[in-house]
Amino acid sequence: MSIDFKELVQDFANGLWTENPIIRLVIGMCPTLAVTNTASNGLAMGLATSFVLIMSEIVISIIKKLIPANVRIPSYILIIATFVTFTDYFLKAFFPDIAASLSIFIPLIVVNCLILGRQEAFASKNPTHRAIADGLGMGIGFTWVLTLLGIIREVLGMGSVFGLQVLGEWYRPMVIMVLPAGAFITLGILVGIMNQISREGK
Amino acid sequence: MEKNNMKNLILTLSIIGIVSALTLTFVYEWTTPYIQANQAAAQKKAINEVLPGVENVKEVEKNGDIFYEGFDANGNRVGVAFISSGGGYNGMIEIMIGVDLNEEKIYEFSVLNHAETPGLGARITEPQFKSNFEDKTFADYTVVKTPPQKETEVQAIAGATISSVSVTRIIGSGLDKVTAAYGGGN
Repeated sequence: MSIDFKELVQDFANGLWTENPIIRLVIGMCPTLAVTNTASNGLAMGLATSFVLIMSEIVISIIKKLIPANVRIPSYILIIATFVTFTDYFLKAFFPDIAASLSIFIPLIVVNCLILGRQEAFASKNPTHRAIADGLGMGIGFTWVLTLLGIIREVLGMGSVFGLQVLGEWYRPMVIMVLPAGAFITLGILVGIMNQISREGK
Repeated sequence: MEKNNMKNLILTLSIIGIVSALTLTFVYEWTTPYIQANQAAAQKKAINEVLPGVENVKEVEKNGDIFYEGFDANGNRVGVAFISSGGGYNGMIEIMIGVDLNEEKIYEFSVLNHAETPGLGARITEPQFKSNFEDKTFADYTVVKTPPQKETEVQAIAGATISSVSVTRIIGSGLDKVTAAYGGGN
């Protein structure tokens, strides 16, 4: 089996920009809107989701031929749920602060449609090495947008980045930015800017 | 298709379920001691945080509740810490409260567990909100949305009134519990 590196790079780059899960495909909106009120929450959520995504893409691309088509969705969900529960325990044991701040949103990764979507659209149809490239690309693509959203909302809503105060006492935080409404506003503007950039590139 | 007969479907899901359960059993066994150690450490830290200058902590059970009595280096009782909990905006809030029973005064409180909105309700853990109760006498507290005028007024966190009211209520019921257990004094 020969590995086509050009293809791998393309699978990887796909998730970063052309098919970025948040700004292009607009999937996985629940964590995108709910936990990006601070930069560190966005980053932690992105990394946790990436881990689950990559691991389940690997497992599913390996066993895809053994799963009968009629039960593929329940099978995928079982596999995803296993990795999510693993992540939940792992964070609680070794990173209790992150686990406390993300609380319920870690178990909710199970129902993130980004993960199930990639299994159905990619991992179940492609060989393992391409699934890893896709998982990495999608994971990093998801993480950078989540972190960027978190940074914007934290700066405007609290005057800090990653918990460090960057704006002085003179700044009056816009409380709406840390509320769900702030997530919609920021995401909308971000998607608009990204669309503009990719349109100019053409 | 042969692959999609009932037997194969049941078999596939069962195998995945068993492998998943086995994996998680090992993960659970591996992480549980760490999770428990974290919780114990958090509780110990919380007791030290809410009772100033405590050297020894003694666990006492009264009326079916557990109280942590803190003693200083000379063996004098500095105060009592205890856990009070109640519903918040998203789930249970668990708070460790440290009180001075001689002067009927709150030292401080510390949030052990909560599921409030990060950045909003979660601010109940921040010093600014906690200062509402620091060194206050036992009283019925009311939540206000403007800077407090009276000692018994608690300033709500902007955008998180429910969380603020919940914490105030949990502290109130906690104070009732400790006064009942210790008979209103020493």
